[in-house]
Amino acid sequence: MIAAVQPNLLEVTDLSVTLRGNRILEQISLAVKKGHIHALTGPNGAGKTTLMRSVMGGMPHQGTIRFLFRDSCRLGYVPQFLEFDHSVPITVFDFLFLMLKRVPVFLGRRRAMRERITAILAATNCAHLIDRCVGQLSGGEFRRVLLAQALEPKPELLLLDEPASNIDEVGIRQFEEMLISLRDQHGITILMVSHSLDMISRVADRVTAINRSIFYDGSPDGLTHFDLQQQYKILG
Amino acid sequence: MEPIYTLFKSCTAAGWLPSIFEHAFMVRGLLAALIIGPLLGAVGTVVVTKKLSFFTQTIGNAAMSGVALGLLFGEPADSTYAGLYGFCLIVALLMTFVKNRTSLANDTIIGVVLAQTLGLGIILMIVVTNQFNIHQVEGILFGSLITLTDNDLIVLAITALAAGLLFTCTFNQFMLSSFNKTLAKARGLSPVFLEYFFVVLMTAVVVASLKLIGSLLVLVLIVVPAAGAQLISSNLRRFVWLSMLFSTVSTVLGLLLSGILPVPSGAVIAVVSSLLFYAALLLRPLLAKGGPNQGEI
Repeated sequence: MIAAVQPNLLEVTDLSVTLRGNRILEQISLAVKKGHIHALTGPNGAGKTTLMRSVMGGMPHQGTIRFLFRDSCRLGYVPQFLEFDHSVPITVFDFLFLMLKRVPVFLGRRRAMRERITAILAATNCAHLIDRCVGQLSGGEFRRVLLAQALEPKPELLLLDEPASNIDEVGIRQFEEMLISLRDQHGITILMVSHSLDMISRVADRVTAINRSIFYDGSPDGLTHFDLQQQYKILG
Repeated sequence: MEPIYTLFKSCTAAGWLPSIFEHAFMVRGLLAALIIGPLLGAVGTVVVTKKLSFFTQTIGNAAMSGVALGLLFGEPADSTYAGLYGFCLIVALLMTFVKNRTSLANDTIIGVVLAQTLGLGIILMIVVTNQFNIHQVEGILFGSLITLTDNDLIVLAITALAAGLLFTCTFNQFMLSSFNKTLAKARGLSPVFLEYFFVVLMTAVVVASLKLIGSLLVLVLIVVPAAGAQLISSNLRRFVWLSMLFSTVSTVLGLLLSGILPVPSGAVIAVVSSLLFYAALLLRPLLAKGGPNQGEI
């Protein structure tokens, strides 16, 4: 675990979001420290994804969101869902090509890009998927591809929205090792949404639990299943 | 254009080309087909991915009102481009605006606007046909080789060049944004801007193609080649090139047949395009290895 003396990389102050008259988030204040894995948890509909989208700049909000970037000034993002037409013939190679090059994928020089994309995919152990159609990947395989794209170019802050959903137990363990490696070996700060307290306690340095407003912010050891269940009852 | 017509006549006289190319209108049609075929095929891949198929039909319907408005405002009968482009662009932008500002489903908005443009088109056509030849309107609806002029060809070439260039430069962004907006946003793109931009580009291409294909059938050439290509493609590169090939073969073959048979060019192009789609459907188990649409029928 990283010592808690690290400087802040992201500061959210008094963030509130109202959508169509409904208050989704209320006075959220939190700080994500550089080099930490910071987890966000809470019941469904608590506003976790809204908070992520606000951080990404895709949601009108009140309050301030401040990035204190020092290096690449880049955000990487792995969404919770990726709704797309599974019948569109986009391979993993195409998918990454679209994001990395301006030359249209139907004209581009594929050989040079193939080496680069293979290396990018290898970072999340999915280079073998390069020629598979995205619509044919399993949930776990697609998560790894999404993570690979979020790491290129190297982000300073990585946002993961429920990265372990649709992954089996073995896959979750591999995913956790990958997250720890990204933090410890590559110095990437991670803000992730997760419902799994077990996963949070294994990988996170800090956890913020929200249910429209914050009801817990501190060490993962201090948050219990009981705390969460109480919030589920309030929401339910 | 005369040197081109002369060249085709010489080739026809030498027996290198079918005799129908003695006529200037057939040469114009062939050139138009060679210009719009690949372009519509390429644009169709994004239209299909973005699920905008019926959006193009609405633009086609709006063309009826556009032609009528152009005539009402005194444009020449054979080139009502201000009315066409003006009205079609307004309709396209309006639909995109409503889509982005409400939670209504895309097909609901298209249904509403389709009904409006159809109603308005019929009213305006009745008003206009009192002072105008109905065959001109027929040409807009079904496409007509005879009414294609040198000016139309020049407008088509300029539009196709500009649209083709812009489309090529922004293809990856269009595709990424169509694939998933949140991810596109995370990559620094503006999906809303890209949507407006693509809609304007698509409208320009559709309007420029109307004389040859017709407003009722323009949907066919944008959607069917891309749908056929999608069936037998295992990657984006193949998807785009096959769609361009299908679209070009459909326009050129359809045009040649319409030169021989007494039927509108748009109708024959639609039939040829559909035949290619069914051929792709039948060959899918053989050709779609590794693609998302493989398997038995």
